[in-house]
Amino acid sequence: MRYSIALALSLSLAACGSDGGTVADFDDAALVADFADQVAVPTYALLDQRAAALEAAAVALEAAPSATTLEAAKAAWVATRSPWEQNEAFLFGPVSSFGYDPAMDSWPVNTNDLEAVLAAPDELTAAYIHNLPDSQKGFHTIEYLLWGEGQAREAEDLTARELTYLTGLSRELHATTTALAASWTTSVDGRTPYRDVFATAGETGNTAYPSRTAAVQELLGGMAAICDEVANGKIADPYDAHDPNLVESQYSYNSLVDFQDNLRSVRNAYTGAVADAGTSGRGLAAWVAERDPALDTRVRAEIQAAIDALAAIPAPFRDAIKDPTAYATIEAAQAAIRTLQQTIEGDLTATVLP
Amino acid sequence: MKRAGLALLVVAACGDEAALAPGGDTTIEDRTSQAYRLPAPNLDADALALHLDGDVAFEATFVTAPAPVNGGLGPVYNHTSCIGCHARDGRGLPQIGTGPTSQSLVRVSLAEGTPAVPGGAVPVPGVGTQLQDHAIFGAALEGTPTLSWTDVDGAYGDGAAYQLRAPQLAIAWSEEPEGAVMTSLRQPPPVFGLGLLEAIDEPTLTALADPDDRDGDGISGRVNYVWDAQLGRAMPGRFGLKANTPTLRQQAAAAYVNDMGVTNPMFPEDDGAIEIDAARLDATAFYTATLAVPARATASAAANRGEQLFDQFRCTGCHVPTLVTGDSPIAAVAHQTIQPFTDLLVHDMGDGLADGRPDFGADGREWRTSPLWGIGLAETVLVGARYLHDGRARTLDEAILWHGGEAEAARERFRRASSSDRAALVAFLMTL
Repeated sequence: MRYSIALALSLSLAACGSDGGTVADFDDAALVADFADQVAVPTYALLDQRAAALEAAAVALEAAPSATTLEAAKAAWVATRSPWEQNEAFLFGPVSSFGYDPAMDSWPVNTNDLEAVLAAPDELTAAYIHNLPDSQKGFHTIEYLLWGEGQAREAEDLTARELTYLTGLSRELHATTTALAASWTTSVDGRTPYRDVFATAGETGNTAYPSRTAAVQELLGGMAAICDEVANGKIADPYDAHDPNLVESQYSYNSLVDFQDNLRSVRNAYTGAVADAGTSGRGLAAWVAERDPALDTRVRAEIQAAIDALAAIPAPFRDAIKDPTAYATIEAAQAAIRTLQQTIEGDLTATVLP
Repeated sequence: MKRAGLALLVVAACGDEAALAPGGDTTIEDRTSQAYRLPAPNLDADALALHLDGDVAFEATFVTAPAPVNGGLGPVYNHTSCIGCHARDGRGLPQIGTGPTSQSLVRVSLAEGTPAVPGGAVPVPGVGTQLQDHAIFGAALEGTPTLSWTDVDGAYGDGAAYQLRAPQLAIAWSEEPEGAVMTSLRQPPPVFGLGLLEAIDEPTLTALADPDDRDGDGISGRVNYVWDAQLGRAMPGRFGLKANTPTLRQQAAAAYVNDMGVTNPMFPEDDGAIEIDAARLDATAFYTATLAVPARATASAAANRGEQLFDQFRCTGCHVPTLVTGDSPIAAVAHQTIQPFTDLLVHDMGDGLADGRPDFGADGREWRTSPLWGIGLAETVLVGARYLHDGRARTLDEAILWHGGEAEAARERFRRASSSDRAALVAFLMTL
């Protein structure tokens, strides 16, 4: 956690209630419920749907490896990656509690052990793959196998065992997305569906979110945290070191798309809508627009400006970080994201949780 | 240079300022899933930069060497990253065994033999004092633990029944060790606020201790003097669930070498080789020293009553509300008035919680008083959060009901209290 903000002064103010607890909670229950139903649940449903397609593409690739089936599998990987990156503004709840995040998105890939597994006679059962370390499965291992180092992979290079492994990893990824989606909508192992936990913030007996203020603070904190992560981690770490080994999604050259989807995740959390899933509800944006339309306009514009600035960096990002002619575009994108982060932490938080 | 974030905003509390800012100037206003993972707001620019380096180190996933990034995992280990067990810098789950969702670990030792360091536990030959239940490809893990639960029935003073659960641990050893192995299951604890605990000076701890119970309140409390690998002598233990580690640097170094199999300047290979350098080790330790403590939540009338009951029941005999930190090389944690709700001492907690495995001065019935700050956020940070050293308690009520030994009298006051008083006490804990 990089950022050093003190979000939501409202909590300290709330603590000042003369009889300890009568200060009003955040007033908009529909906004909190709509985040769960119109943003989180559909994002995970879309992720699961696309992971199913990725599994099917891996099966097709294994059945008949060709340039066509390999390209289809790559396209399915990119499509699945998008809703995953669009969940990164709200990484609270089951995704971070039950190991789903590392199971899908661990990095770096343990290439030594991956190659050893590929060279070994062990049968690649579902249980065997499930129990592999996270650094030998998930998005980045699949990516490594599909694209190869330096994007040198050709369909005819893929061994039968690599194809079987790819299918197994894709099936495991899909099982993980199914479990993640289910954790929000159904009761698993006796737990309350997380949709209900979040949507009932502030109700008696809710031990995770005893106030709606805390739930809204969760949304604002998540939006700020991913801005910080993109500008000061995902971009800054490899850029400051000029080291492509530190770049996320470096095999697929999908890094800049990942980053833009992270900013779309901020937009989704703010507006209460997921364009790619066709859902929309009452978001923070509507609440803000009713009180300070200029601020709402500014937040939306700054999100778009950050996405546009990321799109202006020449792809692939792993080359841009070593190309002096691209440095200005990289730093401009960082600046745009930091501007947005400051607005979220500053004026937006001050308005929503005064 | 990563952004330092906005200027710190100090809590302008209206009531008891120390109570509302349990971490002193390191307190952060956040009651979300991020509440344990934020930097202390009073770090200066250099300190924040080091903290942020430590943040990257704490999240880093290790892989088999040689590797361009984060090589050095294993050959045997429990997990591949710090964050893998301390989710969002908080607790892990009582899950153990095969696969990456294993987050707890088992400490092991023999009753007789030569300790690895003076006064310490006797290592199991070929295993050491911690069971590494994972291995890189081609290496042999030490054993595979299996955890199951047994129901334990009980009843409150008003007749209402409750059911606790006790862990049953079995280990399938890769090579059956000689001699009777003592085991102790451990759930990962949260890692915020630790620099403040490190800055509580030894005289404060010895003043809290009452090893012979001279005041006759049934609560003794001892400092666990443990081996300081850097100083080469015994020092007060502060960290770990039996307070078997004296400093955060040693805690981090031991976790690197034992939990992840990553050798480091404090615990190198036999030939002196290391897999992370001193800068990275120091940054990780500094990170855990400088994470903020979350501010307390607004208290309801019931929670305020619960805070009084917490004192009346003498929970405060060990969960000492207020301490003052001493000097520290880390300015942000020095001379702070804090509310950790711990005395950092080890206490006899009774048969029910006993692990039967001594660790330095702590015997097989003793555990360190766990800090309670932030405990009300446990479920916010980690869905399905569990409590106590092995995660047996599914709720705070269960955690209290497991207390025995020196805490038996306090436990009985809770068990015999009315349901509304019990609920009030838990409501108080939920504001922490």
